[in-house]
Amino acid sequence: MQEERKVGLVSYLALIFAIIFFSGLFAKAAGWLGVFDFTVLNGSFGKILGEGGKAFEFRGSGGSGAKDGFLFALTLVPTVMFALGVVNVVEYLGALEAARQLLTPLLRPILGIPGSAGLALIAALQSTDAGAGMTKLLYENGEIDDNERSVFAAFQFSAGGTITNFFSSGAALFTLANADGSLAVTTPMLIPLAVMFIMKVFGANVMRFYLKATSKR
Amino acid sequence: MSTETKQKKMITDVFVEGARKGWNLGVNNIIPNVLMAFVIIHVLNITGLLALLGKLFAPIMAVFGLPGEAATVLMGSWLSMGGGVGVAVSLFNEGLLNGTHLAILAPAIYLMGSQIQYAGRLLGTADVNSRHYGILFAISILNALIAMLIMRIFV
Repeated sequence: MQEERKVGLVSYLALIFAIIFFSGLFAKAAGWLGVFDFTVLNGSFGKILGEGGKAFEFRGSGGSGAKDGFLFALTLVPTVMFALGVVNVVEYLGALEAARQLLTPLLRPILGIPGSAGLALIAALQSTDAGAGMTKLLYENGEIDDNERSVFAAFQFSAGGTITNFFSSGAALFTLANADGSLAVTTPMLIPLAVMFIMKVFGANVMRFYLKATSKR
Repeated sequence: MSTETKQKKMITDVFVEGARKGWNLGVNNIIPNVLMAFVIIHVLNITGLLALLGKLFAPIMAVFGLPGEAATVLMGSWLSMGGGVGVAVSLFNEGLLNGTHLAILAPAIYLMGSQIQYAGRLLGTADVNSRHYGILFAISILNALIAMLIMRIFV
């Protein structure tokens, strides 16, 4: 199983970097500050001059069905590769351990589960299966009871494997371009991620409330 | 893995490892999912079913600032997150969804995503009390609906 890693300055810097990088804070920054932004570094495809002097991306325009779907999906692949490359680096530097350190004392007040579930919570953000396995262990070791397990499950079940799943497909949504080449989605990627996290906590508390209300009867 | 072996890795190698994961995901997951979604949307479009679904769900989806067709994204998501994203991008491609709609849908795709799969992989594996399955499904869908309302404020 996973062991707890030491959390140093680097871990916190990696976490701060990740937040800034995906926040879109420097998306429109002039000059070198742009290197701190995901969409800036993700770049763009070159254009091909087509009929009537109009410029097209390699996918062209007017396609349909499976063939168009294939070429379109191909345009999403570099974004996913880049996003997961960056996520892998910040994870390696310990950003998630830093997040665990910050979250652990909050688990009891915000979710009603013990701080010892912190590692499982972070693992669940990366992989649904890792979270499931570790939650089972927490119950077997007597760290959480049946109700706490259900509350924890409510947190994990909605947007399971949040970070991995979001950056492996959702990131692509945020680099789609309009016909004029401008970015279609102007909301920074970090906002939906934050909303998901808030709703996961909210959902767990609905479960908490439900269990409390039904146990009184 | 111990700390010593971890520190020997070059950052560039770690990046490449992640990018390779991205490539595998792209080839094994995104391309097949998006291709399928494009074909399904194409079929729904040719048969006129998409317009019908759009009309049917228009009053409900309007609450979230979305066109009726966006309901197909949520249905797709419930079965698989990748499928939901695929449906979303193909509707964007058809001009039925714009960037604002995609931003509203983004958290919802995940919050109620892949629930059938995860019932087994998460709730089953962790031995969650089976009496609670129903409410867990309901909470996830509720989360998704509220998230769309919140996103509406941000976009």
